[in-house]
Amino acid sequence: MTSFSEVTAERQIKSGPLSHVSVELGHLYMEDFQAGPDRLRRQFAAVAPWLETVRRSWQSRTPGGRARISTCFLIDDYFSRFSTPSELVPMILTAAAENDLVIDYLARESACAEADGVKLAKLVEDRLVPDPPPGTRGWRPPTHETGWLANGTRSPVAGSGQAMKTAVRWEAPTQNAKRGHSIFVDVELWNDDSRGRTWSCPFLAAVWQLLRLGLLRNEGQLPVQPVAVDGGFPTSWDNLPPVVKLNSSATPFSAYTTLSVLSTRFLQVELAVRTILSQVSVDEEVLKQVLSRSSDEDLRLEEELVDRISYVFL
Amino acid sequence: MLIMGEVRTGLLQNSAEIEERDHQAVLGLLAGERVRMSRRPIVYAVSPDLLTGVDCRLPSASRARIRGVGTVVSRSSITGGRVLQGSSYVRVTRGEVNYRLPWSHYLARPGVVEVLGKVSGPDVADGFLAFGAPGEHLDLGSVSDRFMDVVQESPVLDLRAPFRSNRTRLRWVAETGEPGVHFTLGEGQERTLKVTHQGEFSPAVVDLCEDLALHDWLLTTLLTIVQRARIGGASRPEVSARLAPAVDTLLHLWMPGARIHPSLAALWESLERTPGFSRQWQSLVERIRDQLAVNTLALLRETNG
Repeated sequence: MTSFSEVTAERQIKSGPLSHVSVELGHLYMEDFQAGPDRLRRQFAAVAPWLETVRRSWQSRTPGGRARISTCFLIDDYFSRFSTPSELVPMILTAAAENDLVIDYLARESACAEADGVKLAKLVEDRLVPDPPPGTRGWRPPTHETGWLANGTRSPVAGSGQAMKTAVRWEAPTQNAKRGHSIFVDVELWNDDSRGRTWSCPFLAAVWQLLRLGLLRNEGQLPVQPVAVDGGFPTSWDNLPPVVKLNSSATPFSAYTTLSVLSTRFLQVELAVRTILSQVSVDEEVLKQVLSRSSDEDLRLEEELVDRISYVFL
Repeated sequence: MLIMGEVRTGLLQNSAEIEERDHQAVLGLLAGERVRMSRRPIVYAVSPDLLTGVDCRLPSASRARIRGVGTVVSRSSITGGRVLQGSSYVRVTRGEVNYRLPWSHYLARPGVVEVLGKVSGPDVADGFLAFGAPGEHLDLGSVSDRFMDVVQESPVLDLRAPFRSNRTRLRWVAETGEPGVHFTLGEGQERTLKVTHQGEFSPAVVDLCEDLALHDWLLTTLLTIVQRARIGGASRPEVSARLAPAVDTLLHLWMPGARIHPSLAALWESLERTPGFSRQWQSLVERIRDQLAVNTLALLRETNG
């Protein structure tokens, strides 16, 4: 038997190390920063017991209690720029240490749009497979071409020309997978203007979840590698790596599951994130890799992506 | 479980063969994914697989109302820098519940369409292969067509095809059993294929269907060119001029079974016995070459006066 293969005809998908759970200890936006370090201290004080609960729960599920739990913290440098890494990062780390919290990884929100020259948001946009309303039998213009993504059918709107002559009766929007009644969600993914495209906060947060779940690849490679920063933090956000490894003994950044401990003001954002993630088709090879690794560890992973993501809202 | 698909095949709308380096631009339909290419024995490039969501009635020979929800897998490919294919397929399975689940459930099963309620595989297969008007039913052909159109819209292409040709439509169904293959040439551009293969379904079956669709299109197109040439009716130089595009564009593309998995090679071989694709192709090629040779001799005679 002879065999012949050509390298470019085969797909090669890298796999990365995974923790059991990636715990997000918080998001920091401009308004949080303006509210001063006390607000951050209070937030970390509220988060600490939950992290302990997660730790204990995973320790009881893993052989020998060897749970791999990594913590992360996200700073917004995309929607507004404030302070500098050299000023802000030590302040965050101090507030965390005061509550016995260790932040393993620090990420910049703009990294979810583009990191190390890879347009992560574009990778995710191309992988959107919109939830089809009943009656969808083949190709139709993608619902996200407008920059909006829904979980159902929108209310009809009065059109132009002939349609204007007859009044359009209001009809209810419907959720595709409704059980009895609908909860219709329509999410703005981006807007474009003369300065280019601005991705929405839920869209970047969806990318953030996919990064933490280790499910993104660019040409088969892992797009973001956490980097340690030696010799102090830079004075410009652009000089800070997309994901910084702060704790040299941390378990891997990406994990089988994620938990985010967030203020309830993020509830709507996270509903939008889940609406988006329910319509992202992750590469089948990557999904298989993660599933086979988890089953090697005797861990039963939820089949659906959104079921691997959980929250504590405070 | 039933697997069914539709392959549409046509000529890439470009005056010349596209170069190897242009395949990534033309077939790169997904950011972060490379176009896969092989160069032996013929240049072949294929886009990444993409999904399309559907929620509609499935075809049924008994006109049963069967609702299916899930995703269609599709891809575009170019062979020899000339022939474009759009190919889509689904695996039809019985759903565990008879109501529609959240979309994330279906995205966890790429390429599967789940039926809400009862379903008979043979009934859906017969309905699909009958090529009825799509109506409200699943329309894999429109998805495949879209995957050809997306490629044709690439700015790399000049949209000037060397000759006129039609897109062919091949619908196929595959099931597990005693290996066999049944190909039917329908009216116009419609063809059907029933494949029975050993063991689990694998994408190698899709490769087989696409390869067969490719060669059926080559044969169909070459036949049309020969007919249009009006051998015996038109003058020799006219006949030669009409046959020239076939020589320039098509003759070297005949490579049946080039990318077929060894486990399925016997199926191609059985099609070579009946109906004998390569036999018919060879006889057409010889006819074209004879015509060109006769014309060349005539020209030489004229020149030598």
